[in-house]
Amino acid sequence: MSRDEIFNKVQDIFRDIFDEDDLVIEDASSSDTIEDWDSLNHINLVSAIEKEFKIRFALGELQSLKDVGAMIDLMVQKLA
Amino acid sequence: MNIYKFSDIYEGLEESFEVTITDEMMDKFLDISGDINPLHIDVEYAKKKGFKDRVVYGLLSSSFYSTLAGVYLPGKFCILQAVDIQFSKPVFVGDKLKISGKVKYINESYKQLEIKATITNQDNQKVSKATIKTGLIDE
Repeated sequence: MSRDEIFNKVQDIFRDIFDEDDLVIEDASSSDTIEDWDSLNHINLVSAIEKEFKIRFALGELQSLKDVGAMIDLMVQKLA
Repeated sequence: MNIYKFSDIYEGLEESFEVTITDEMMDKFLDISGDINPLHIDVEYAKKKGFKDRVVYGLLSSSFYSTLAGVYLPGKFCILQAVDIQFSKPVFVGDKLKISGKVKYINESYKQLEIKATITNQDNQKVSKATIKTGLIDE
C-alpha cells in the first residue's frame, strides 16, 4: 500500500473520529492544530487505525510521534 | 464484583447478568432525571400510542451497561470512556433483561477495551445494543 493510499484512509478515519466530513489533515497536523484531538480521541484514533490496517502500535512508538506525518511514516514501515 | 486486571483480559471474554425492571426503578429514575414524558408515566397515553404499557426509560435500561462495565467486565478497575447505544425494541415494567458483553478489541498501548454489549428480554428479543469503551486503572 502506498503512502498516499495510507494517508487517504487515515484521513477518512480522522473524519469519522472527529465527526467532521470535510476535515483535511496534513503531515504537520497534530493535537496542536486539530481542536478536538484530546486524549480520548487520541486513543480512539489509534484503535481505529490498528483495526483498519490490522497493525499494532507499541506505546513507545506512539509517544515519539510528533505529528500525523510521523504516524503515517511509521505505518508505512509496519505495512511494508 | 469482578476484579479483572488488564493482563487477565482477552478478546472474546464474556460476562452477563440479569435484572428485572420494577415500578420502583421507574419512580427513582423519574425523580433523578425529571423526565416527565407521558410515554413513561401515563399508561393510557402509552396505550393510545400503540404500546401495551408505559415504556421504560431507554436510559434506565441502558444504565445496566454501566453496571456491566463497572461490576462485571472488567469490574472494579473500570474507567468508563464511551457508550454508544442503539435502541431496537421497547422495554416494559416486569421485563426480565439479560445484559451481556464481550470484549471485541483491546488497545494494548492505552489499556482500552472495546466491548460489544446487548440487552435482551425474557423472549430473547434484543432491546438494545451498545459499544462500550473502557480503560483499566489496575496499576
